[in-house]
Amino acid sequence: MWFFRAPTIVYGEDALSYLSTLPIRKALIVTDRHLLTTEIPEKVRQALPKGAESLLLGDVGEEPDLEEMTRHLDQIRGFEPDWILGLGGGSSIDTAKILFVLYERPDLTVYDTTPLQPLGLRRKSRLLAIPTTSGTGSECTWAAVLSERQEKRKHELASPEIIPDYAILDPEMVVGLPPEQTRNTAVDAITHAIEGYVSTWRNPFSDALSEKALELIFGNLLSVLKEPGDRSSRGAVHIGASMAGLSFSNSQIGLAHALGHALGARYKTPHGKAVGIFLPLVIDFNSTVCKDRFDRLNLLVPSTVRGTSLGASIRSLFRAMGQDASVATLGVKKDEYFDGMEELVSMAAESTGLVTNPRDSGSSELRELLTKAYSGEV
Amino acid sequence: MAKFPSAEWLEQYMGKLNSNPNYEDAARKWEGSMTFVVQKDPALDKDAYLYLDLYHGKCRGSKFSLSLDDLPPAQYKYMGPFTNWKRLINKEIDPIQGILTGKFKLEGSMMTIMRFTRAAKEMVATTTQVQTEF
Repeated sequence: MWFFRAPTIVYGEDALSYLSTLPIRKALIVTDRHLLTTEIPEKVRQALPKGAESLLLGDVGEEPDLEEMTRHLDQIRGFEPDWILGLGGGSSIDTAKILFVLYERPDLTVYDTTPLQPLGLRRKSRLLAIPTTSGTGSECTWAAVLSERQEKRKHELASPEIIPDYAILDPEMVVGLPPEQTRNTAVDAITHAIEGYVSTWRNPFSDALSEKALELIFGNLLSVLKEPGDRSSRGAVHIGASMAGLSFSNSQIGLAHALGHALGARYKTPHGKAVGIFLPLVIDFNSTVCKDRFDRLNLLVPSTVRGTSLGASIRSLFRAMGQDASVATLGVKKDEYFDGMEELVSMAAESTGLVTNPRDSGSSELRELLTKAYSGEV
Repeated sequence: MAKFPSAEWLEQYMGKLNSNPNYEDAARKWEGSMTFVVQKDPALDKDAYLYLDLYHGKCRGSKFSLSLDDLPPAQYKYMGPFTNWKRLINKEIDPIQGILTGKFKLEGSMMTIMRFTRAAKEMVATTTQVQTEF
């Protein structure tokens, strides 16, 4: 017995206008500082039903910690929203999820957000996500990542109850995404699709979603990078990223995420960049137990970059995209990296990604992968 | 062969756990006792309890009882009916999916246990190393 869980997904041109049909009285809009400098938050406000009040909180930073995420909690409780809207990339949507939990259940701590116990949410409000990046998948998933600055750690929080009620995928929201964020978030989505496809919890639903997600992303990503304003390709990658999110949310992440979270927490590396450094190494590592699955996915890679194995193809694709392939290229000093190796091993070892990765791995395997990642060696 | 659940099975399990390098690696920072609660069902006529004193990758002690009152209080309890335990030991149920699908219940600090899911997996994997009869 297992489940398939998903939000209602509203997608395509003009999807944002669907907001006006929802029974929203008081909307809390959670977004980030960068988006506040754009027209997007106002477009969302304008799309709300007539007469709906809104409270816009626009100071989510990159990889926020608990204090940053919850600094406006009293104000939110005073506002009493009946809908919480996460607008932005993973950080904004994850912050909306955390605020949703703590607004609904003031008696809980954020760390109670585990799938192992019921939370009893949705007594006061509902959750909706509008991604403005194509990669995190957070709009469709049961996961939220919380950074812990002092411990230099990322907490992987998860609960089926923090899957948004609605995800709105409007290509208009991503058409202006800068090239570097386009690359990093797409790499994250590719990693979700591949890890979801070989997870020990994989299932027919996650299989189908991973395959289609990769078909859409592989088939359109290079076009998007060449012509960022191409709405058709943007829309395809946007939907593919959500499908990848649905895949891993229903099957789980693997070692590339475990290692990427550790690296990202220690060196503040953007999430997509961090997991992308590990992805080809982890594919090679896992190939001993699921080569047939990787071979199937390799057929989806465009022939212009396809290699003889999925690992080779991903390296080739990332080169074509101009994506970093090693920790060294991030500017991390070799001595510092290797001096901090045991902390990275320890952090990665605590990730749930180890449990659902298709090949068992302990400290020695993590150390080996982290060592290879410094230079990106094959 | 040791019958599950029993003191004999628990003793053999503790031995296997202490010689499992994967468990030792995964649980090297774990501090906390755990009681496996095997609940009666049509295939088992009484509840059974298996207490494990777990610390830094080793099991320092264990105790089997048919009464929870006979055991030291444990920080964690992993509970399920006998038939589900049988399926777990036979690798037909994943220990975490078992909780998510309502076949098992877990009591204790969720935040801590979520950081040691690999240790939990290794604990279950170790059960398969005991020659078990049901």
